[in-house]
Amino acid sequence: MLLLDYHNPLLKTILKERFVKPAAIDQIISDFDGVTYHIFTPEVKTKILISISIKCYQDLLQHGAEEVLKREYGSYITETEQGYNFSILIDLTALPEDPEERNDLITRVSLLRRHTMAAPFEKAISIQQSLSAEAATDPSVTTKTSEVMTIRYRDEEAIYVQASYDRVTVIFSIVFREETDRVLAKTFMQEFVDARKQIQMAPHVMYRSDPPLEIRGLPGVPEAGVAVKKGDIVYITFVFFPMHIENKAKREHAIEHIQTFRDYFHYHIKAAKAYIHSRMRHRVAHNLKVLNRAKPENEMEEKEKKTASGRTFKQT
Amino acid sequence: MSSSLRPYLTCVRSSLTAAMSLCDFASEVAERHNVPEIESGKTPEVLLNPITIARNEHERVLIEPSINSIRISIKIKQADDNEILLVHKFTRFLSQRAEQFVILRRKPVKGYDISFLITNFHTEQMLKHKLVDFIIEFMKDVDKDISEMKLFINTRARFVAEAFLTSFQ
Amino acid sequence: MAHQNPAVVMDNGTGYSKLGFAGNDSPSFVIPTTIATKSKNDAPNTQGPPVPSKPRGLSAKDGQTDLDYLIGDEAEAVRGLGYDLYNPVRHGQVDNWDHMERFWQSSMFQYLRVEPEDHYFLLTEPPLNPPEARENTAEIMFETFNCAGLYIGVQAVLALAASFTLNNLADQPLTGTVIDSGDGVTHVIPVAEGYVIGSSIKSIPIAGREITSFVHNMLRERGEQITTKNAAKIKEELCYVCPDIRKEFMRFDREPERFQKYTVDRGRGLTAEIDVGYERFLAPEIFFNPEICSSDFLTPLPNIVDGVIQSAPIDVRRGLYKNIVLSGGSTLYQNFGRRLQRSVKDLVNQRLVSKGGTADSLEVRVISYNRQRYAPWYGGSFLASTPGFTRSCHTKAEYDEIGPSIVRRFDLLTGPGM
Repeated sequence: MLLLDYHNPLLKTILKERFVKPAAIDQIISDFDGVTYHIFTPEVKTKILISISIKCYQDLLQHGAEEVLKREYGSYITETEQGYNFSILIDLTALPEDPEERNDLITRVSLLRRHTMAAPFEKAISIQQSLSAEAATDPSVTTKTSEVMTIRYRDEEAIYVQASYDRVTVIFSIVFREETDRVLAKTFMQEFVDARKQIQMAPHVMYRSDPPLEIRGLPGVPEAGVAVKKGDIVYITFVFFPMHIENKAKREHAIEHIQTFRDYFHYHIKAAKAYIHSRMRHRVAHNLKVLNRAKPENEMEEKEKKTASGRTFKQT
Repeated sequence: MSSSLRPYLTCVRSSLTAAMSLCDFASEVAERHNVPEIESGKTPEVLLNPITIARNEHERVLIEPSINSIRISIKIKQADDNEILLVHKFTRFLSQRAEQFVILRRKPVKGYDISFLITNFHTEQMLKHKLVDFIIEFMKDVDKDISEMKLFINTRARFVAEAFLTSFQ
Repeated sequence: MAHQNPAVVMDNGTGYSKLGFAGNDSPSFVIPTTIATKSKNDAPNTQGPPVPSKPRGLSAKDGQTDLDYLIGDEAEAVRGLGYDLYNPVRHGQVDNWDHMERFWQSSMFQYLRVEPEDHYFLLTEPPLNPPEARENTAEIMFETFNCAGLYIGVQAVLALAASFTLNNLADQPLTGTVIDSGDGVTHVIPVAEGYVIGSSIKSIPIAGREITSFVHNMLRERGEQITTKNAAKIKEELCYVCPDIRKEFMRFDREPERFQKYTVDRGRGLTAEIDVGYERFLAPEIFFNPEICSSDFLTPLPNIVDGVIQSAPIDVRRGLYKNIVLSGGSTLYQNFGRRLQRSVKDLVNQRLVSKGGTADSLEVRVISYNRQRYAPWYGGSFLASTPGFTRSCHTKAEYDEIGPSIVRRFDLLTGPGM
């Protein structure tokens, strides 16, 4: 597996099963970044309530999450369940007839997390587009930037989104708790920066360990120069140019793809560690073999041999 | 094999072979004890002069012989953060398995990355020249391994970065 | 924080892995414990070469061959299509740590979608798992995945816990005999107050696979054409345990409707009907009369159970007889529990009478419950959702301080009664 999925496979499988054969369910499902779903049949087993709890919901609301969710889930939206941020209710007896539409519904629901988080990105893109239209007539707009939208999606980490007439900037702050991860991350980030040489069309990537200019002075962002504990936190900036978001398909894809960045990054650091581990295991096995060569032969022969069932026998 | 590695290893090999002449020696401090003298250090007259063999400032071997035990410590080349990390991981991984390695010391001697402790009991059970072979082979492999893993990290990082960014086109 | 991230419960068995979140009533994913890796055509002996001269993964220059793998059903689907399939768990124990590490990786990131740094984990292990295996597990979980906390529970103990929740008797001591019968092997494990009595464990080489092949053989001898997969389905759907074989044969003769037809899919839209007869009750009968299928293992299951309990310390035997718990897929046959209870009781009574005691003075109870199939998982899910769970876990910080040996000991997990 190279890239992470955008949807939640578990929501997808559950819904697929329930659409065919309704059954009672009450499960808590977790997703990346502390997102929790509650999938529940409160009264009858044909009515499925799906609730999502997401840390940054308040931030998202400020940037139009409600409209996005309304657009995506429309009539399925229901009263929000206690303790969660957003709920939808699917009545299995009133599903669309068309199997295509049903599949579309399943896909849409399994993308709940993506849609919930999409709003600030969409907003930034639309600001960029209106600014760029204005810039054609009024050159003073080129110096204007939108406010920085902060999405505090984890306890210590956040995504910052900002738009100006020719770009959308997305900044991730990522915390690495482990020394090992930090070292590996550095190598990885350097490659992200360098990758632009290979891929002309890629967004511009930068990283640094003190807050970039755009977000300095925002609440929750440490002052530049005031070391939090150097190396703990890194800021990685993606700059999207109009060509990355020129049509709807590209926009949608860019939004869902950039959302997976943090987990993608962590996943691959872990995968690299797993590989190093397997290398070391091989090496240890090999070294042991070399060491065992030092033991004289006769020791091996007297070893008792056992059959699978644990009996012993003597070779004659 | 680079030109300076061969003489380095040859030198370690002959020094080790010479140093590894061990015999049984009962402790003179505690009755009915038999401890590796190099570790206890309580009987100074049975300790021999330690030897350091250095290839350059980053790579060296310390051989500490005594009457019934010998301690070999290796400092592995570490040029950058990645190498430091890998060497640390690797030696930790090894010491975790010290049980299987019999002659591996759980903690390296200060200033070195990995240490072996060979006692007269080991040389009685195992063939001496093969033990020396093991140490030499270990030194040979470890550098190769570390640089290969480092290379891997870089290739992987590039691959991962490109895979993610290509998707935006 | 409104919601604590739920703990992740993973039970990696020989045949199937059960993955899910604590507090749920069933595992979210049940997938075969299989990993498919890209075949290497250039290496003639792929079976563990002593560090190939070409570094693995780098030979292909792109440094990503180790990412090209699939697990679970997806792995089964590519059998023979340029992939090699491996089972990282053998006889309940992890056999290949490289594969296991990647299996976990995919379980977390692809299936459960969790960032291991945010979650506590509960893993299971078979009884008598060597402590080294635990340490290896901890090394992977903490060093590769940086998981927040880890608990490793013994499957038998978790199965016991699963049986309690049903009775709502939270304050029961964790004492009982667990009969764990999965695909590969059947274990009889006495557990006293949460600790496995290792010296008394017995295993029986009869389990799901043997029963399937028994059904398969019987059908083939009658000339039915059938695959092992379908034989397994027949076994699961139609087999049951009868009270007495002789009477059951006669009943089949009297009531022809007991012979059933089973429709199998031959592929390409073709179906065929297969007659299923005596194997319906004969197959599970192997547990009680092993001589009908095997020639070198002849002790019936009830005798083993009795023997195991008799070999346990005398002061816990009463509790062991009173709480015989079934766990695993091969204990799901209808009336399995009832037959076992009766047979064990007969053995006990015989002994009591011969020693001059009175019959029925010792309570023998076999407990069947509806979560039997995934009992260890369910027990894990239940215990991991109790408030005391995080305290019993070892955390990443503790691991960093003490090292892998920390997992040699775990606090005993008890239900909410504590």
